[in-house]
This record gives sequence, C-alpha cells and structure tokens, in this order.
Amino acid sequence: MKAFQYVTAGSPEEAASLIGPNGRYLAGGIDLVGEMKEYIVSPDVVVNVKGVFSPKIPTILFSDDHAGCLLFATASIAEIAAHQDIQNAVPGLSEAASEVGSPQIRNVASLAGNLLQHSRCWYYRQPDIVCLKRGGTMCHSHDGENKYHSLFTGNPCISPVVSNLAIILTALDATAHVNRGGKDQAMKMAELYHEAWVNPTAHSSLDPQDFLTQVNVPFSRTRSAYRQVSEKAEFDWALVNCAAAGNVTGGIITNARVVLGAVAPVPYMVAEANKFLEGKPLTDETASKAADLILREAKPLEHNGYKIPLAHALIRRTLLALNP
Amino acid sequence: MAGWPNPTQVMGKPTTRLDGVAKVTGAAKYAYDAQPEGWLYGMILYAKWAAAKVTKIDISKAQALPGVKAVILTGGEQRTVRYYGQELAAVAATTKQACLDALRAIEVEAQPLPCVVKEEDAMKPGSPPVSDGPNASNVSQPDVKEDGQVDQAIAGAAAVAELHLSTGTQLHHSLETHGSTVSVQSNGQVTAWSSTQGVFSVRDGIAGAAGVPQSNVEVICDYMGGGFGSKFGAGVPGGLATHLSKITGLPVKMMFTRLEEGLNAGNRPSSRQRIKLAADAKGKLVAADVENFGSPGISGGGQTAGGGGGAGIAIPYLYGFPAHRSQQSSIALNTGGSCAFRAPGHPPASFSTESVMDELALKLNMDPVDFRLLNDGFNVRQREYQVGRDKFGWAAKYKKPGSSPGPVKSGVGVAGGGWGGGGGGTKAEAQINSDGTVEVRCGTQDLGTGARTVVAIVAAEAFGLRPDQIKVRIGDTNLPPSGGSGGSSTTPSISPAIWDTCQNALAALQQQTGVADARGANWLDACKKLGVNPVTAQGQWREGFSSGGAGGVNFVEVKVDTETGYIRVTKVVAVHDCGLIVNPLTTTSQVNGGILMGMSYALYEDRVMDRLTGLLLTTNFDTYKLTNIADCPDIEVILIDMPERGVIGIGEPSTIPIAGAIANAVANAIGVRVTSLPITPAKVLAALGKVPNTPSA
Repeated sequence: MKAFQYVTAGSPEEAASLIGPNGRYLAGGIDLVGEMKEYIVSPDVVVNVKGVFSPKIPTILFSDDHAGCLLFATASIAEIAAHQDIQNAVPGLSEAASEVGSPQIRNVASLAGNLLQHSRCWYYRQPDIVCLKRGGTMCHSHDGENKYHSLFTGNPCISPVVSNLAIILTALDATAHVNRGGKDQAMKMAELYHEAWVNPTAHSSLDPQDFLTQVNVPFSRTRSAYRQVSEKAEFDWALVNCAAAGNVTGGIITNARVVLGAVAPVPYMVAEANKFLEGKPLTDETASKAADLILREAKPLEHNGYKIPLAHALIRRTLLALNP
Repeated sequence: MAGWPNPTQVMGKPTTRLDGVAKVTGAAKYAYDAQPEGWLYGMILYAKWAAAKVTKIDISKAQALPGVKAVILTGGEQRTVRYYGQELAAVAATTKQACLDALRAIEVEAQPLPCVVKEEDAMKPGSPPVSDGPNASNVSQPDVKEDGQVDQAIAGAAAVAELHLSTGTQLHHSLETHGSTVSVQSNGQVTAWSSTQGVFSVRDGIAGAAGVPQSNVEVICDYMGGGFGSKFGAGVPGGLATHLSKITGLPVKMMFTRLEEGLNAGNRPSSRQRIKLAADAKGKLVAADVENFGSPGISGGGQTAGGGGGAGIAIPYLYGFPAHRSQQSSIALNTGGSCAFRAPGHPPASFSTESVMDELALKLNMDPVDFRLLNDGFNVRQREYQVGRDKFGWAAKYKKPGSSPGPVKSGVGVAGGGWGGGGGGTKAEAQINSDGTVEVRCGTQDLGTGARTVVAIVAAEAFGLRPDQIKVRIGDTNLPPSGGSGGSSTTPSISPAIWDTCQNALAALQQQTGVADARGANWLDACKKLGVNPVTAQGQWREGFSSGGAGGVNFVEVKVDTETGYIRVTKVVAVHDCGLIVNPLTTTSQVNGGILMGMSYALYEDRVMDRLTGLLLTTNFDTYKLTNIADCPDIEVILIDMPERGVIGIGEPSTIPIAGAIANAVANAIGVRVTSLPITPAKVLAALGKVPNTPSA
C-alpha cells in the first residue's frame, strides 16, 4: 500500500478536523485495509476513530422509555448481534448482524464500516481492472460476469449494496447521524444511500470526510425479521437478503416495510408493496403479492435471473416470520 | 502380506500425530517461516493482460528505489504474453513494501492482443489463437479409443441414458502458497527451504537454476501447507529466488501471493462431457459412448490430444463396458496451465459416469446400489457398497426422486471411485544409540498427511517401542533418497523401506550385543551393551509390503431448498480400503480432507474468467469459495482393514467419489438433475425451471 500518516482522534469533531482532503477513517479496518493493500484506495492520512467516544458510555444505548436505541458508529457487529435487549426489541437487527462475515470479522468490524463498506463487485475488486466504479469508462459486469449483481439500478453500475445492516436498518426506518462540515446532519437510510443509486462511482451518499457518528433505531415496529441466502453456510456474502418490519395484531400487519439487499446499489424498497400490505392478513398469499410488487421492475441480466425466484421466496419467508 | 507381522502391535492402532502440538502452537516452521540471516523479499511482476506483445520493459526506475537489491527480467524484453499472470520480471528488496513499490515502478509497454478464456469460445472457428506457429490450433486433434461394436450394442440395449455434463476449472490454492527461500552462497553451496512434495526434484531444479552441482544443494522441507499435485518442482518462485539470491549474495524468499496462487499454481482442467451408457434388460452394462473436451489452459490445443498433459479424463469410468468408444480433445485458452491435481482425471469422470449411472438405474427401475453391485467388477468395492449401504441406512432413506415433502427436500446419493497407487523407490537409515534412543532418517516429506508419524509407527513396530520414542528426520535432501509424494504413493513407499531398515538395524543390534531378542522390554539393556559405537543400518523399499488398487464409495444425504436453491450436505458415509492401515487417525483425517476438498469441487469452487479482458475475477477466497467449517457435514469414515494387501495410499481415492455422490443426492432430492459443477443455488433454481428467461450475451 501507499505510505500514509496515521493519527488518532479523541472525538468525532477531532476526527473530522484531522481527515483532510484525502483521508480515511479507520474503525475495524476490515474493508479499508483490504482496499489499501489492493491500491483501490490510497489515503494519505488514516484517522483512527476507535476511541472517539468515551469508553465510559456503552456503544449501544437504550432510551429511558424504551422507544428506541442508539448505536454508536464504533459498536462492533458482534456486540450488536449479541445484545440481549436488541434481540428482544428488534430481532431482525440481531439476525442481520449475526449473518455478517465470520465470527472473527464480526468481532472487529464496526457498525459504520459495515454500512459504508465499498462494493464487492469482482470487477471493482480486481486489481488490474479499472471499472466504471473506480473511475473507468465502462461497467464490465453488465455484459460480463454478473451472477452476483443487481436486478435494479438507477445508473450504469450494477454492483449491489452488500451491507446486511443497511437492509434491516432501512426496514426499521432508522436514522443515521453524520458530522458533515462540523454540523450534525440526520439522514434516513434512503438518503444515506441515494447517491449510489444515481452515481456509478458512489458507494453511499457520504464523502470520505463525512463522519457517521451514530444510528438511531426506533422501536415503533414491534416485529422485525431478516433472512439471507448465500452459497455457503457461513462467511459468505448474501446472494439476496431481505428484511421486514411492522406491527402485527391479530394476524393483521400495519406499518410494513420490506427491503431487499444485494439486488440494487441501495437497500431496495418499493413503497407500493408496503402500502399494499397495510391492514392485510399476513398470509402466504399477501406475502406473495407483495413479493410480486417488489420484483415487478426487476431487469435480470445474463447470469443473475435466479435472484428473482430467490428474492421472491425470501420476501415471503421474511414477511411470514413477522407473525408472532 | 507375508512381510508384515501378524498381528501388529503399533501399526493399525490410533497414534496421535507426533507433530500435532508443534503445528497448533506455531513451533512448526514452514518454508514461509524460513528467515536465514540477511534474507530479502522476492516478488514477481506478472502480466496484466491475457494476451499481449510486450515491446519494452524498463526496470531502471525500480532499480533506483530504496531497499531494492535486484531487478531482473524473466525472459527477453520483447515477448508474447499468453495468459494473465505470466511472469515478466522479478525483484528482491529488503521489505515487502519495497518490492511492491519496485513492481509498480517497472514500466511495461505492450500491445494487447485478442484473447480467449472460455472453452465454448475457443471451439468456435476463428477464435484468437493461443499459440503461434503453423500447427497452432485451439482445439487439439481428438484422441479416439474404441473397442467392440458400440453403435450396435446401444441400438440393441434395453435402456440408454445420456447426459451433457460440465465441470469447472479447480484452482490449486494451497494454504501455504508455492515458493521457496533460497540461499546461494559465494562458495557455490545452496540451501533452500521449500514448500514441496518432492525435496529431491526441487534440488535438481534449483541446482540447474544456480548452475551448481546437485550435490551442492540442500533442500529442506520440515513442514508444508498443502500441495495436492502442484508442488513437485522448484517452479517459477524457486527458480527466481535462486537467480535473485545469486545476484544479491543474500537469501531470497519468494512465495506466491494469494492472487498469484490463483493464476500460476496450476489447476484441474475443466471438462465438457457427453456420456451415453447402455444396459440390457437385466441391468448389465453393454456399452459406453463418451466425449469430452476440456482445457488445461495455455498447454492445450495443437497436438496435445486428450491424453496426459492435456485435459483427458478417465471416461468411461470404473465399469467394464463390453463395447466402448471415447473421444477427447484438449482446448487451448489464454489461462494459466494445469498440472496434477489430487487424483488427476478421476473426480470429473466419477461425477459424470456416476450421474449417468443413476439415470440409467431409474430407467431400469433398479435401486442405484443394486445397479452398481451388478456391474462393478472390483470385489473390494462390492464389499464397500454392502458395508456402506447398511451403515448409511440406504434402504430406508432412498426414495423416488423429488418425492420428499415440503420446499426443503432431502435426497440421497451414492458413487464410487478407484485409484492405482502403489509404492517404490525409497531408501532409509536408522541409528540406535547406547542410551536406547533411535533416529530414523528418510528423505521423504510430510505433506500434512502424517508421514512423519508413519515413519515412527513402523519403526516402533519393528523395535517393540512406542512411536514417540523414535526420532524421525525427514524433509531434507541430505537424507537417504525418497521419491516425490504424489499418486498416493508416500505411505506405501516409505513404510516398507522403514521396516526393512529397522529390521536390518535390529539384526545388527542383536548381533553386536549378543542379545537374542532386543525388542521391547529388552531394548534398553541391549542398547547399553553397544558402548561408544551406535548401530547404523540402511534399508530400502521391497516388494511384498505394499500394493495399489484402492476402491472407495461414498453415500451422501443432502437437503436442498427448492425455493432458494441452497444445498446443505448433512451426512457422508465414506467407505475406503487402504490395505494395512498404518495409522487409523491420520488415515481418517485424510479421508475427511478428501471429502471436504471434493465437496468444494462439487458445490463451491469455480474459477471465473472475464471474457472481454481475459482476467481472473475470482481473485480471493470471498469469490473463489471453499468448503468452510460451517459447511462440513457429519462424516463417517469406514476403513476396510485388509492387512493381507499390504500398505495402500488413501490421499487420492478419498476425494474421487464425493462429487458424483452429491450430484446424485441433489438429483434424488429435487427430482431434476444439475449436470454442471459446481452445483450452486442459481443452477438448482434453473434446473427446477424457476429462472425467468434472461437475455443472452
């Protein structure tokens, strides 16, 4: 990798002041260090942000009225997965966290790093190809090897978002807080990723200088679930993942949000499907109809058409898992 | 066999791997760990194109960088690149980063050429030629073998089944990547620490590269992290490390990076097969008509035909067909060359033949195990099918294909394999000291299969001692010669040689001390009588202690989610014969490894090349997928103990049947057959007709 300056920040504000025009924040380093070793990114400053929050405050905080929780950016995936109150209040979040990578990765990887990780497209990661996402002139996967790629996109890049937590946090209608230019900015998950839908070089809406400080998760939806299918049992990316959240009373669902991952550059949600589910009995038939609505605009390429039946099954299963 | 004691005292009893603690604590030193005084890192500049004319390579900027001690070209400046990963230059520097900086500072001017990296593309007329010359063709002349009246037999058969099947290219990805640390001294003496399956073949390669007599070279391999057929020679990194060490006067460590391992360490060729089998009304096989074309990368095409060195596989597999015809071709691609890979030619042949066998059994309305028992001419496998069928509970588990209820369907499958093997050509020596200590020396190497422990077990058997009382010295060319560890020949080669050596040593001890039987309880007293002169004795491999011809069968149970395509292997019963079992613990461990590697081949591993650029896309283990701990099924290994056959190797037979058995189990579960390895969720969903029509490229 290219030589860089390594500095440690004591607060989010200090981190933002140290980052400079070509710096990167380092928490778990799972994604960043790999990219640096492959010369995909070559920052001149690496800001260690592991200790920007007081060690006296837990990385996961519940509000007094138990209406929601706050996850600090540096919370490890393992902490989120193992947290008993999260398992009780938003089980879908625990499930999504426990499917990230391997135990070793979950122990080190951070919430912010998981949300803001870069594309896993095998052209983007190929050390000797400069693809569209890396500033090249063409998306090689569109007419090439696109088995793991998107069914939906708003730009010529078809590499999908792969963060498990992005999917469930979108379903839970969470809000990210970002220190941007010294100011705190609240962003819904859709805003956090929107840029990746329209801009082929973007992985999220954040610039490297933006510092994601925390994510607030409301517990207004009392039921949540997350399901994924990979080729392998563990330590494998999801071929497709799905998260759903809502309230279920007497078998009737309200406030539903269903989100697909690994099929679009952003967590993919179709408002019409959520609307359709409102007040419906949570049955295989309604879940199947919702799946049809979500997948209606899917544009399969040569090798990723299997994601359509797979996503359909996952949507049904995830929705039905909301039944108490 | 007559030569071995009956019963044995140590052989055949479970012995814990002698170096297990050293391995798990990190005390065991691999080639990767060698750090001779003053050593330099060595790295390779590889070609970034699948095909190109290189016109200029400027190393001057790289040479000027701090820490860089040498930069060399690996060939002429102007040359043709034929595959992505071909070596162009090499550097030696004081740090890894200095090497990386130097590689990036080398300026290469090249004219990219059209390339071809997909088998089907290379078959098309006018595909870009991989090789030059008047005889260059991307498709070799077919290798045709024919015996009997095939068409007539098929026409008169009661049942005929035919499938088109394919297998991907399996990359050699040893956990310890390929390479050596080489120290060429000014006096012409050379020491090399190599990750190798053959210390003597590496010695010869390094002596050639250094231009010194073979007797000047010592190659050491105390431990190594996997070879599987790809680590017999010094290879590119061994040769380059030697050159760089000679230039710099310092030891140079050159180990492939993970990416280079995927590009340049060799692979198992792909296959595209058509297999047609026919049987009479009683279920007896009458004919086989088979075709295959596969690619061994750049070495295919031209005059390579389908045989050795090409992409030929052992089809039709396993069964005696009264009439059979096979036609095989090898296809040249702009990809790294293939090499021997654990049971070369067998796993894809077992997969294809056994897939069609199940289809034929269905047509004949016969149970797949009964059908194999009727047609398999090897009495050992006959026994294995019967033992395995009972252990597995086949009769209760085998149901009509696709008949399991619900979306997640279970299924069972069976398949067989066979391997030659056998031993030979090993020498050894033993020394017995007056304090009773014993040192046994043999220039074999331990691939991780437990060879070091095998040496101790055989010596302990001879002397009436415990294996941990034997000091074993292996993995060094200064020791008596032994062959490369390949073809499942190591244990059958070294066991008889160690036995012969120790018998000679025991005889010498008894003669020198006058003790009639120095073994066991008498050992220390006898040795005390030796005084200052230790006993030394030599010995060698002899007939009558080992043989070849191993059979194996696998029974597999899977669960397949017909809505998501996800496949879970839940149970494997593997029945193998390996004659006289030297150590059931390491033998079982090897079978476990063979199954997991074969399962990887069946379900996960797939080299993916980009058609346009000709570059590898599966550059790391997140996309080049291997069986992980979490994927491991419950494996039950049953070793048929047949001491009368002597020692037989197990490394290769253990990996052959599993892919066919998994494919058959998946077909039994879902009621349709996936004919292409690896069997992925995408292919399962496609086979079930669930994938909507998609545009073709």
